[in-house]
Amino acid sequence: MQDNLTHDQSMTDNDSHDDAQEDGERKTNRGPPDRPPTEQVRTDGGKSDVEIEREVDYLEVEINLLKPATPFMRDHLRVIWLGFGIWVVTTFGPITATRFAPDLMTTPMPIIEFPLHYFLIAIVAPSSALILSVWYAKKRDGIDEKYGIKQVTDDPDDAGATAEPAAADGGTDE
Amino acid sequence: MSVAVAPLQAEGLLPEGLDVSFKLLPGIIVVSMMTLFLAIGFVFKVADTDDMWVAGRSIGNIENGMAIGANWMSAASYLGMAALIALSGVYGLAYVVGWTTGYFVLLIFMAAQMRRFGKYTAPDFVGDRFNSDSARALAAITTFLIGFVYALGQARGMGLVGMYILGDINNVVPLPGLDAYQAMMVLFMIVTIAYLALSGMLGATKNMALQYIILIVAFLTGLLATGWTEGYSTLLPQIEYGLLISELGAEFSDPFAGGSYYLWIATCFSLVFGTCGLPHVLVRFYTVDNERTARWSCTWGLFFICLLYLSAPAFAAFGTDLYGQNVGAVYGDPGMTDAAADVIVVLAAQLAGLPEWFVGFIAAGGIAAAVATTAGLFIAASSAISHDIYATIINEDATQRQQVLVGRLSIVAIGVLTIIFSLDPTAPIAALVSFAFSLAAIVLFPMFFLGLWWENTNRQGALAGMIAGLIIWLTPMFNEGHFGSGWGIEAIATWMPAVGSALIGMPLVMLITVFVSYVTDEPPERTKMMVRQCHSPEPMPRNKTAAEVVREKNGNAPADD
Repeated sequence: MQDNLTHDQSMTDNDSHDDAQEDGERKTNRGPPDRPPTEQVRTDGGKSDVEIEREVDYLEVEINLLKPATPFMRDHLRVIWLGFGIWVVTTFGPITATRFAPDLMTTPMPIIEFPLHYFLIAIVAPSSALILSVWYAKKRDGIDEKYGIKQVTDDPDDAGATAEPAAADGGTDE
Repeated sequence: MSVAVAPLQAEGLLPEGLDVSFKLLPGIIVVSMMTLFLAIGFVFKVADTDDMWVAGRSIGNIENGMAIGANWMSAASYLGMAALIALSGVYGLAYVVGWTTGYFVLLIFMAAQMRRFGKYTAPDFVGDRFNSDSARALAAITTFLIGFVYALGQARGMGLVGMYILGDINNVVPLPGLDAYQAMMVLFMIVTIAYLALSGMLGATKNMALQYIILIVAFLTGLLATGWTEGYSTLLPQIEYGLLISELGAEFSDPFAGGSYYLWIATCFSLVFGTCGLPHVLVRFYTVDNERTARWSCTWGLFFICLLYLSAPAFAAFGTDLYGQNVGAVYGDPGMTDAAADVIVVLAAQLAGLPEWFVGFIAAGGIAAAVATTAGLFIAASSAISHDIYATIINEDATQRQQVLVGRLSIVAIGVLTIIFSLDPTAPIAALVSFAFSLAAIVLFPMFFLGLWWENTNRQGALAGMIAGLIIWLTPMFNEGHFGSGWGIEAIATWMPAVGSALIGMPLVMLITVFVSYVTDEPPERTKMMVRQCHSPEPMPRNKTAAEVVREKNGNAPADD
């Protein structure tokens, strides 16, 4: 994985004092760095994901869905594949289960009286996709936070919403 | 007021049980709604092409989510889905699942990356990613075809619902050669085209948030009122219809009564990946500030969509029961026709004895759904013609004025084409629309997906994949007689039905694209860098494309497109 990283920045000055400045340089024109850079999880003796990530020049790393080349992409793809796996089960699972165990799956449910397969397909599958979407978007916001990524916005009205994800996002779960 | 089944209409599309007559109040509701659309369109009227195509890219999470919802929820969602659930039972649920869950795949694999790529249209993406005007042209043709096929379903919906509101125009002004359905379809298509020709997408986007609100309110209050007055449900019809299911007959709820397991999977698969390849959906991600907004507006969009999708089966259940009580047997021979099923939402409200203005409001929601989606589709199709074929290939020095003119002319052209093919539609609304999803899933999705996630996908691979994809999509379309008279080859009809041809087609196109890319030269470094830029976590300023970032990085390297 190291092969894919560029070292032009890290070779010169890579002690923690310069991180903030380096960070500032990377985000020229995009406002000041939004968080202290070195407080992230630090693995034993080596560099933290965040530090490695800061040295990556994305224009130089290979993009391959199956071979994530950077810590950020690895974290992101882990969320993507996990979500996709659950999605496959909630989307195609109920009808497939009904194909193989029709009697069990068509049993009426207590109280609401839906045949089980009907309920799982018509209500659970779409709702699962919605819940997964909220989960993913929050996870991804979390990853953004871990790596100190701040979205740019040039609409002053939107700035508040971007800075306070919780306020804007809570309503989605309803 | 009578159920007018005039003899001269008998050969045309006529939903039995539907009250086809002129109704003043519903008429006023529809007319004022359309006037409102035009007025708002006029207020936001713009001549600048940048504004026309992507609304100046300044729309926030929730508004964009609503626009996604309105753009998305067409007559196929509003009318066609309940129709299929009523007629084909559990098979119809493949549409509910496919048309909602696809958004998650779109969200995790494409929404933010497309936003970073920063191109106006799907053909722009394909053309720039693969450095090829031929690829761009193929994507533009595909976009145009999708708009056209998709609009067929919308036109059918407008025509059928229009009959409830305005009745048979032939009773007032005899229109030789046009039956009641055709006259209404033509009328509402003309209104849609006039509206689009007047306003650009900025107006349309403002309208779309409004259209979403109109149609979701109409649908949900209609469902609540129908369930309440008939005693089916109280406050949560979306769950309470479960109590009714056992009374509706095996056709409604038996797992494979309306279609085989294979057909269910194939249809759902096509709809999911078609969702991810649809140009008029993707264009929504160019209208946002940044990737985060792209992700959250996709999520909000799904939320707004789910409100309707969780309710449609309930409407289908109530409609099926009411039809059985008041009109005739739903299943068996003759059973309910496609035409009646396609208006089951309006029919259910009418048979429940709701006031005429209220039924008219529900019908107006159906028309709003059709107009909103047709607007989005025609914009995508016309920009494919004016921007990607005319301004990029035919006349590279085109002025903005010329582009806007070509764009408007192509809206008229696709409208006329849609009208001609919708005079005698070959399938119910939802099936017509699903053909467009198969096309998007087979031809465009692999290009987007591989283009964004595998940097070595190259021009040769894309061209081979897209040409193969178009052939694969056309095969069942011809076989089943949607274009031409039909070949009737049994094996193709069974294993590659037009409604679900992407189950075989999409992986095949992926394989072809990967294989050809693999055996030919890798794409240039600049192209790879664009792909990499789409995945960088570093924020990108608004109005900047991946290509520009790469160009800056490389100093004054010449542009290649």
